[in-house]
Amino acid sequence: MRRVCVLAAVVLAASHEAHAYEFWLRAQTIGQAYQLREYRLFGPDLFLGRHLITQTLALRIDDIGDLSAGRRRSRLPDTGLRISWQSYLRVDHDFGDWSSGQVTLPGPIRRDALDAIPELQEWVAQLDLMYGYLQLDGLADDRATIQVGRILADDGWGTTAYDGASARYRIDEVPIAITANAGLRVRAASPLGVASYELDGTSGAGCQEYVEGPTPGSGHWQLIDRNRSITNTRLTSDFEYCPQRDVDQPTVGITLATARTRHFSAELGYRRTWSDTVGLIGPVDRLNFPDKGLYPNDFGQAPATGVNEERLWGRAQGELRAGALRVEPYADARFSILNAVLDRADAGVRVHDGDHVIEPRVEYFFPTFDGDSIFNAFSIEPTTDARLAYSYTPAGPWRGTADAWIRRYAHEDDTTSFAGGFDAGVDRMFGANWRGHLDALWDDGYGGRRIGGSADAAWRAQQDLWLRGRVIVLGVREDSTSSLATRYVTSSAVTSATFQLSDGVGLHAIAETDYDAVHDLQLRVIGVLDLAFYPEQ
Amino acid sequence: MKRALLLIVMLFAAGAFAGDSVVYPLQRLPLIFSHAKHLARGTTCAACHAAAATSQSAVDNLIPTEAACRACHAIDRADPAKAATPVTACVGCHPGWRADVPVERVFLVPPPLKFPHDQHKQACESCHAVRQVDLATTAQLPSMESCFACHKGGMEERHCGDCHLTKMGGLVETSFDQGNFVPATHGPRFAKDHKEEARAPGSTCNACHDRSECVQCHQGTVKPMDFHQGNYLLVHATDARRGTPDCSACHRYETFCVGCHERSGLGTRGETQFRSDRTDLRFHPVGWSSRGAGPNLHAQEARRNITSCASCHREEDCLTCHSAEPGGVRASPHPAGWRGSSRCKALDRDNRRMCLRCHIAQDELGCDWHH
Repeated sequence: MRRVCVLAAVVLAASHEAHAYEFWLRAQTIGQAYQLREYRLFGPDLFLGRHLITQTLALRIDDIGDLSAGRRRSRLPDTGLRISWQSYLRVDHDFGDWSSGQVTLPGPIRRDALDAIPELQEWVAQLDLMYGYLQLDGLADDRATIQVGRILADDGWGTTAYDGASARYRIDEVPIAITANAGLRVRAASPLGVASYELDGTSGAGCQEYVEGPTPGSGHWQLIDRNRSITNTRLTSDFEYCPQRDVDQPTVGITLATARTRHFSAELGYRRTWSDTVGLIGPVDRLNFPDKGLYPNDFGQAPATGVNEERLWGRAQGELRAGALRVEPYADARFSILNAVLDRADAGVRVHDGDHVIEPRVEYFFPTFDGDSIFNAFSIEPTTDARLAYSYTPAGPWRGTADAWIRRYAHEDDTTSFAGGFDAGVDRMFGANWRGHLDALWDDGYGGRRIGGSADAAWRAQQDLWLRGRVIVLGVREDSTSSLATRYVTSSAVTSATFQLSDGVGLHAIAETDYDAVHDLQLRVIGVLDLAFYPEQ
Repeated sequence: MKRALLLIVMLFAAGAFAGDSVVYPLQRLPLIFSHAKHLARGTTCAACHAAAATSQSAVDNLIPTEAACRACHAIDRADPAKAATPVTACVGCHPGWRADVPVERVFLVPPPLKFPHDQHKQACESCHAVRQVDLATTAQLPSMESCFACHKGGMEERHCGDCHLTKMGGLVETSFDQGNFVPATHGPRFAKDHKEEARAPGSTCNACHDRSECVQCHQGTVKPMDFHQGNYLLVHATDARRGTPDCSACHRYETFCVGCHERSGLGTRGETQFRSDRTDLRFHPVGWSSRGAGPNLHAQEARRNITSCASCHREEDCLTCHSAEPGGVRASPHPAGWRGSSRCKALDRDNRRMCLRCHIAQDELGCDWHH
């Protein structure tokens, strides 16, 4: 009794006024079942099952502490402090043989597929925090915003994330906003990490170190620490060991961008990511012969740190109007300081004339990678694209699009090669419940030739039932870099149904069948249970 | 695929890309009325729209009733054809009026906006340009552009909800009985190519779209069928070799691509029947990778699009031949003029770890060494 009284007193003392925070929740359960091939030169291909279950949870909590509720009730602009939370969590696992099965290696040795191919980890027992951050708006007289947590970052050519903080301050007099951020770049090795956020070019497997031989210069590269003991686990790769991929990658960035401007916007940004060299990865002479235990080499020439990414980018967009004509020019460029090259650029103009939009654009691309990757030294030939896009979107039932492009590959020996293509589509609404769509595609040049098209129909059969079907036929002739078949016709049919079970609950079912001379018939089934919870407004 | 599913629902429900008619729904105004003439006579706005001064919501009906007209017009319902100046006959304001037919009513759908007239003290005509028109229609309602003349903060994502209705969690409500609120920029190509809109400084995508919508497609676990059409597993090689579209916008080559290729038996470390030591069992054709003399076809492919190599090979595969390790093949991948180039110097200065993957000897490090 006494304990109960004490507990009640504690609860009463700890009680606060209840706050009806606004929150938005979206959960999706996705099940996929299909088979993929393991290609065999002798005998039929082996079919490996993929039985994927994915559970996602997106959460927004708005106005924590009801700080702006009073302003909303008074119908005043939402200035002043407002605290919110946004996050997206994903649980993902493949129960099928594809990721969770075993492989037979020469020997023969049976091993978990994950042990032989650590890259499969992306589909095995993954708990990923895609982003999750607390945001404080309206600080410093509504000029400053702060984010803390796992924050998404985008330089215009790809999204990454870092665990840290970001602060934005708007200087109205200029008008420019300055944003500074710092943190640890999200890697596969980060807590709840995501491999796809990592810089590309380095592998999580097969990492090698140089081990010196009996005389200087007579050593060789070998997998790191072959003598370490291995514990068999089913959900992680037992043999993957690449210490440089596990170290933290501090990241800092700063951007200057126009703020609250109409018809013109521009941004200048900088980001640098670096990491410490692993150095000593084990005791001296941990191997069967003399070594110093240093990674990546046994001489200790590696610097204490190395830059993984250092980029500077700028972009500008404008809008001009002349009667019904609206012209939107834009230009973007990114410079890799690490590689001392312009690695991305594009410029174009989008011209709107009533229902017609035409957009010529040029693009430039020079592949660059994580500073630890030797692909940086191999990548030496840029590409340049010219593209022309057109769309017609009247208020009536018809809509149409067309795109043409050509890519030029500039070779080291001053020769060039090209690839190009064209595609077009028309879309028509038939009454309130039917829609039809036709697409045609042709491309040729480097890489191969493809020609074909698709027909698509969608029907709202009932108030709570949507059906869709699509048929695709494509003739392909690949440029041959392999001994696999390179000339074939493939056809594919996709059907989907979406049924609204109740308010905020939807069930999607998708089936795809493919037929081609290489693979015969294939079937793929996907089910999505979409749960979205909307508290009463 | 999740994005595709959303699109299915969107395309059915949307019908048209008409943001304006959603914010200001179509009206029916079966009236004869001239704002131009009334204002020219000196009639004030408040004389007819008195309720506007105290209105706190966009759902308030501020259209004057007959009672307001009676202040000047001597309307006599007992004498519907009464001739007078100003006009008093019913047919003078209600076109086609007949005694035996009910008068057609004004039909207005309130705009899905938050708007308190009572907190806007500006002259009415600064937002409603009615001086030159007869009937005021949706064309005389203020555009968002005109709001920004004062509300500069409205250009920022956070403040979209100051005027637009929001759902729980702060996202702008986009679905209404009169249609979906979709910006004109969201044309038929938008799902495939929205790069410029998304990366524009100050873009307001996340006012309506939760960031999870971006992530579930760009870092998703399901093939988006609207983007990667049927049987893409078979035909993707053409796109990947060309390098367009840019696979790296969504996929990391050295995990996503390598993992799949290895498991398909097309790699070197998984279960594979391709063997590089037998010409009849090689994945790549004869002459692909020739030590010494030979066509060495892979060199041009690697230079043209190293990312297609990276979709199967790890760096260590390249080191087999390209390492400068003593006793190795020492096949240099560097182009002419590499040594001394600004690129070599930048890479060596910023991350020598990469150089050390191939160059072990002290005298080979840096960008000014000679054989």
